Amino acid sequence: MVFNSFDFIAFIIPVLLLYWLVFKRSNISQNILLLIASLVFYAWADWRFLILLVLSTCVNFYLGLKISEAEEDKKRNIFLYTGVIFNVGLLLYFKYVNFFYEGFYELLNVFGTDISHDTLTILLPLGISFFTFQTLGYLIDVNHEEIEPSKDILEFSVFVTFFPKILSGPIERAAGLIPQLSTKREFSYAVFVDGLRQILWGLFAKVVVAENCAVLVNAVFDDYQQQPASSLVLLTFFYALQLYADFSGYSNMAIGVGKLFGIQLMRNFSTPFFSTNIADFWRKWHISLTTWMMDYVFTPLSFILRRQQKRGLMISIITTFILVGFWHGANWTFVVYGLLHGIYFIPLVYSGKMNSSEVVAKGKWLPSIKELFKMIVLFMIVMLTDVFFRAGTITEAFDYLGRICSLTIIDMPWAFMNGSTIMTLFLVGFFILIEWINRERKHDLEISEFSIYIRWAFYIFIFLLLLLFGRSAETFIYFQF
Amino acid sequence: MEITTIKEKVSNVLTTILEHSNFEMSDELTAKDVDGWDSLSHMMIITKIEEEFDIRFKLRELNKLKNMGALVSLIQSKS
Repeated sequence: MVFNSFDFIAFIIPVLLLYWLVFKRSNISQNILLLIASLVFYAWADWRFLILLVLSTCVNFYLGLKISEAEEDKKRNIFLYTGVIFNVGLLLYFKYVNFFYEGFYELLNVFGTDISHDTLTILLPLGISFFTFQTLGYLIDVNHEEIEPSKDILEFSVFVTFFPKILSGPIERAAGLIPQLSTKREFSYAVFVDGLRQILWGLFAKVVVAENCAVLVNAVFDDYQQQPASSLVLLTFFYALQLYADFSGYSNMAIGVGKLFGIQLMRNFSTPFFSTNIADFWRKWHISLTTWMMDYVFTPLSFILRRQQKRGLMISIITTFILVGFWHGANWTFVVYGLLHGIYFIPLVYSGKMNSSEVVAKGKWLPSIKELFKMIVLFMIVMLTDVFFRAGTITEAFDYLGRICSLTIIDMPWAFMNGSTIMTLFLVGFFILIEWINRERKHDLEISEFSIYIRWAFYIFIFLLLLLFGRSAETFIYFQF
Repeated sequence: MEITTIKEKVSNVLTTILEHSNFEMSDELTAKDVDGWDSLSHMMIITKIEEEFDIRFKLRELNKLKNMGALVSLIQSKS
């Protein structure tokens, strides 16, 4: 059940009415309803793995308590490592076992041992990459005594399964979400309306921007060998926009739905394309994953390697980004995607400019020429690296990039010389413009301080765009992760 | 070691690594309040502090630090 479906509207309206009218007495009754709704939502998406979700919740709840109760470090570590093995094991089994299995046979073939083998068929439980990271982070935080373990299974279950974020994040932290579940949520008109606004903008990003870009991308990508370099560049441009609008749109809808229940989920995107260097980009792109990786992979690793100064920092960054890439899926294309992003950090680390966080054109309407130039260069780099995200194999990605570096770059991009490309360019332009205007706000459509006439004119305009240019979408790119 | 001396040295470390001194060394100061003090620069700051005071931190100790006051107390307990 995707957010942009009538099924979801039919599901959420009764749940909201029950939540604010019937189950409003205490945080316990609110949590009971949220848990039931979340399990129904997950089962609706894929009932086969409901047991797995429940099992993961119970095991992590128990281990959290045990880690906290253990007085000696040794005992504590036993429970922590059990949790790490359990969570990472689930992920490895369901997501990566096939990759290693095939890799093993490919390696044997390299050495001339041609052994025939069956293909493994392991289904990927929806949202597994998201909820296992969340529970793993919880156990590590309890172990570091950064948070108290949850002593309430109901509250903890909602923390793991809360339906707006179960399928594709944001990857929540216990310190941010559990305290909100421990207290009764009071209805706030302002928060509720802000949630609706954020959903509206997410819906626009997904069904108008991402889906129209997808039509262009899908039409051309499959026979990219026949296209001139100019078309391939345009194709990567539209794909980069599709990827961003798809996932940021999903995230805005998830956060917006959370707000309808009086729950604040963490921000996942903060206009990442308005960045002037790669470190800044990653501070704004898929924030919940990046901060997770920073806290639980980069920090321990860079701590161990801290005596090696910049070299240690570099090794830690590259390792972290390879894992960021690999987290997306069991394919070498994602490993290379992560590796490349890690490599892009090298000049920043050595120039010592990695930490300079610049808000582009703060308080101004337009960026300076220098800022604009840096943004465009960064966008081009990110856009070209996204080829690894879209391609089926590394060979295909390199072949694609190789074809871009050819003289056909000056040819007419005939595949894009049509009305739908121009229409999509206008929609993308509008999308970027609104993101630019709102780049210093908490989300892209936080327009509560504008007059009621401007607000409603804008809502109606977005509605019209949704009606005129919206396309139905059954899935989101990040559901496969 | 005196608290004021520790604070002074830590302040110098921050200025060296972050290349600015737009912060006030209060006990309530957190990394979030200081421009550029993020997870990337954090480890460089920690390593420099270890060198300055000739001490060693544990990762768990660092994770528990909530603000500058806690960092200064930790340094004092170790030096």
